[in-house]
Parts: sequence; structure tokens; C-alpha cells
Amino acid sequence: MEEKEITVNIKKYNDKDGAFWKSYKLKADKYTQMTEVLRRIKSEQDPSLAYRASCHMAVCGSCSMKINGIPSLACRTIALQAVDEKNEINVESMDYYPGVRDLITDIDVFYDKMYKVMPRLIADESVLMGENEQRMTPENQTEVWKFQECIYCGLCVSACPSVKEDEQFLGPAAHAKGFRFIDDVRDTKKSERLDLLMDSAYRCTSCYMCYEVCPQDVQPVIAIKKTKNYLDQYKGNTPITIMARKHDDTVENLIETTGKIKESTLFLKTFGFGEAMRDAIDMLKSGKFKYAFEKDSNVKNMNEIKNMMGEKK
Amino acid sequence: MKVAYYPGCASHGIAKDVDIATQLIAKDLDLELMEVDDWNCCGGGFMDDKNEAVHASLNLRNLEKVEKMGYDKMATPCSVCLNSHKVAADKYENDPVLKEDVDQRLKDANMEEYDNGVESEHFIWVLIRDVGIENIRKHVKRPLTGIKIGTYYGCQLLRPSNVMGFESAFNPHSVMDLVAATGATPVAFPMKTACCGFPLMGSNPPVALKMANNILSSARNEGSEMLVHPCSLCHLQLDVTQDKIQRQFKQDWRLPALYITQLIGLSFGYTPKQLGMSKGSIEYLRSRGIS
Repeated sequence: MEEKEITVNIKKYNDKDGAFWKSYKLKADKYTQMTEVLRRIKSEQDPSLAYRASCHMAVCGSCSMKINGIPSLACRTIALQAVDEKNEINVESMDYYPGVRDLITDIDVFYDKMYKVMPRLIADESVLMGENEQRMTPENQTEVWKFQECIYCGLCVSACPSVKEDEQFLGPAAHAKGFRFIDDVRDTKKSERLDLLMDSAYRCTSCYMCYEVCPQDVQPVIAIKKTKNYLDQYKGNTPITIMARKHDDTVENLIETTGKIKESTLFLKTFGFGEAMRDAIDMLKSGKFKYAFEKDSNVKNMNEIKNMMGEKK
Repeated sequence: MKVAYYPGCASHGIAKDVDIATQLIAKDLDLELMEVDDWNCCGGGFMDDKNEAVHASLNLRNLEKVEKMGYDKMATPCSVCLNSHKVAADKYENDPVLKEDVDQRLKDANMEEYDNGVESEHFIWVLIRDVGIENIRKHVKRPLTGIKIGTYYGCQLLRPSNVMGFESAFNPHSVMDLVAATGATPVAFPMKTACCGFPLMGSNPPVALKMANNILSSARNEGSEMLVHPCSLCHLQLDVTQDKIQRQFKQDWRLPALYITQLIGLSFGYTPKQLGMSKGSIEYLRSRGIS
């Protein structure tokens, strides 16, 4: 098997020395996974190298790290596919979580968020007593299947821009897990789950970063969007959900009546008169206030829009 | 060359300058932008939060209109509109339960089943793939030599990459290539693919503004004098909204943010005013000898 020499630059870290980069050279072939690269470095060159890895087959979720800046599982990354034109690879620990040593981070905060969403099925009492069967349709199973595939690797939370700025956001993984039970017909705690998840869902910025980095294709952002589909069934009111309701209802109403969105109306209805006026002053100062009066034609064939938007389910 | 053109609500509203600049440079590049007949809002980022089937139907209606016009490609200057149409078409193709609901809605609106015959593309993809960087360079009358431009991509243009498909979600270079074509110096910065926070303006504005500030600060820290982005909604968040950001973070600096076709327009010889720019951008450019 043809082998190539590669250089692996690892950002090491410990409490005493802080963070520093160290380079290692070794040979890899076209099958060599990054977990194997790290194992060889540790056993042949630097016993002090600290990293986590276990299954080597994307099941255990232990070997999460940044490889060339991309949040990845080391076991799913083939070294020769990851090298740059100089045959180099940069390896760092995940963002967001506190560093423990080298590539190891403390992901307690990930588990805390997971725990908050009641990540277990709460079945009906009659089922627990053996009087009834747990049943779900194949369609229902398909709907929740994707969202239960999480391997707790923590990559989505490490890459999420909202989690970093907003402690109250439960983060992508916990939302996928939480939604998986909202949409499971066997679960009995839907309204409690909506109480847990709805405010947090509107703290997601829908940037698809979690979808992109998830090694299991869980698509957490889609779970968050599907959670928001239940806003009408959510009975609570937080400042976030009150504003989101105003905003989303205005968007829907504008499309239903004109086929298009007019931002100036949207601003006014979402933020209220005071804040919208402040925006108007900013626009005046920037010379762009005239654009607030841009009048685009409504959709001509509004029947098409209305018929498409009618209640079907 | 003729291309079906979906301007999107923002660029026909308070981000009108996006449309103005795009139309101007398209003309110079012999791109005839054929506005989609009777197009509707794609509901990008919000309608799928309410109802996925309604969202998909609204987007497929636009794509069917494009097909009826005889085109197999629809270009839009807005990353959110792009993402919305692409994700909707992808869901329609791959989710049979959703497809059933959507087909009924299309039928109720006297429309046909959609056959996935139209590809949604970002206007900058058309610039790179169909017009060509070399061709753009030939139209540059005023090279923007020496101006350092932070090249920002944002989220919806790149992700999910298995649906968007044009370039790497982590190492993109489309905006950089276009900036280089104008003669300006493209500046990559760590947060070039992070979200600008606009989608949170409707529910959690303080965090939304923090995200926008993270982008601007990251670009500035790498030496950018201005920022260029590819999205009508990023434009709302990063241009005029900077006044809000300045107030929230008590900041005394601004980083003028231009839509990518505004920068290209400058290099083609148009004035900042012709390109519909905001006062802050016009003043900064004047200080750099461009008016």
C-alpha cells in the first residue's frame, strides 16, 4: 500500500503551559483514520498526547475535535483526504467547551442541556402496567427516526453561534432529542415538552451549522423548525415567544393578503411603534428611508396563494 | 444571456440598493434578468417554522412560473431566498409524506405537480459560472486597488452544503474571487461563514445584534476597511442596523457593509450614489478617493 509522509500539527493544552502547537511527522495510507494517526503519535512519539476515542466507527461520539478548523469526528476523517497541499493537517479541540488537556474538553454543559429536555419516553400508565401496547405508525416512526440518532458527540453545540451568546438556548442536540418525543405518539408529556422547548426554539438563528457538522445527519435545525410548528399549541408566554408570535403571524398575514413581505410593516408590527421609529431615524440618517416606501406590486393571482395556504392537515 | 430573476421581497423593499446594483452590473455584463412572472414571497426562514408544506408550496409556485417562462435556472441575489427554494425543492423530492400534502395544495391552486425542472442559483454563482471571473475583470474601469475588503459569506448561501452544493461550507472562495476581480484586496476572517443574526431580530434582538457585531469585529480585527456580503437580509442587518449595534455596544467605529454587486458596480465605474449606497458607505468611499 502506498504511504505518504504527513505532518500533523496539534494544538496542545494544559493548565501549566496554556495552549501551544506541536508538530508530528508520520506515514499514512489511504485508509488511515485520524484516530489511528493520533494513536500512533501517542504510542510512538508523544505519550503525553491526550485525546478521546473509542469505537473508531462513528458510534460512540468520543473523538470530536476540529480538524483543519472543521468540527469533525476524528474516526470519520481519513488523514490523506484531510491534508492540504503541503501534506499538513491541523488538529484542535472543539470550540465552546472548556479545555481539560490537549484535545480533551469538558462537555458537561452538553449533558446538562440534554438532561433539561427530559430525554426519555414517558409512556401512558396503562402501558407501564401492561394493560396496553405501545403503538406507532410507520409514518410516525419515520418522522422521529432521524432525530433520535444523536451519538452525543457534542459537535453541533460546539459549532452553534447562538449557544455561545445565549445561555438560555438549549442548543441543537437537546432540541433534536426533545422534539423527537414531542412528535412521538406514545409519549404523554407533549405540553410539558412544549413548555421546555418553545422559548428556546426561538433562540435558534436557523444557520444550519448543526445540520452541517452532525456526523449522524440528525439535522437538529429541522427539529427546531418543526418544534416552532407547534407554536399555536403552546400555551405559555415568554418575551421571546410573544415577539416571535407577532413577527411570524405578521409574516404569514402579509403573504396571505399580498403574496409578499413588506419589511417596514413587519418592523412596525413586531417591534411596536417606538422601536420602529428608532429604526426609521437610523434609516433617515443613512439616506435609505426612501426605500421604506418602495411599493412592490402584490401577487396578481392571489387565489393561487390563498388556496395553497389553506388548512390541509 | 437571459436568466430568470427572483429579486425577493427585501431587494424590492428596504434593501432596494441590492436590486439597483445587481441590475446595473447585469446590464454591463449582457445578462438579461427576466423577472419571474407574478412571483410570491418564498417565506424563507419563517414560513417553514409555521408550516413546512405551505412553505414548500410557495417556493414551488415560483419555480413552476420559471419553468413556464421557459427557463431551467432561477437566479436570486438573496441567500435566504436561495436557501428557501433549494431546501423546499429538496424536501419535495425526498419526503413523500410532505410531497403528498404539497401536491394537494398545488392542485387546489390549479397548478401542476412540480417536476424539479428548475435549478435555483445565487446571482454570484451565475457571475462565476456563466459570466466568468475573467469576463468580469474585463469590465473593470476603476480597479479598487489597495482597498481591503472583508469577504463575508454568512450561513444560508453555504449550508446545508449537500443541498446548496456550490462550494465548501467551511472553505468557500466565491466572494473572495469576485472581490479580487474588482482589484480590491480580499480579507478572509474567522467568522466569515457565521450567521449575521438577522433571523433572530424577530424574536431575540439583543443576541441578534451581538452576532452581527461578532462578524463586524472579526472582519475589522483582520484589517478589513469594508465588508462585502452576498445577501439582501445580511444587508439589512449589517448596513443601517450598525447604528443600533453602535448604541448597544457603545462602539465608536463602523465597518461599511456593501452588497457584493455594489462593490463590483464601483469597479465598473458607477458612483456610490448610483449604486444606492447608504451615507456611511458613501462617506467612507469618498475618504478613500472614490465617488
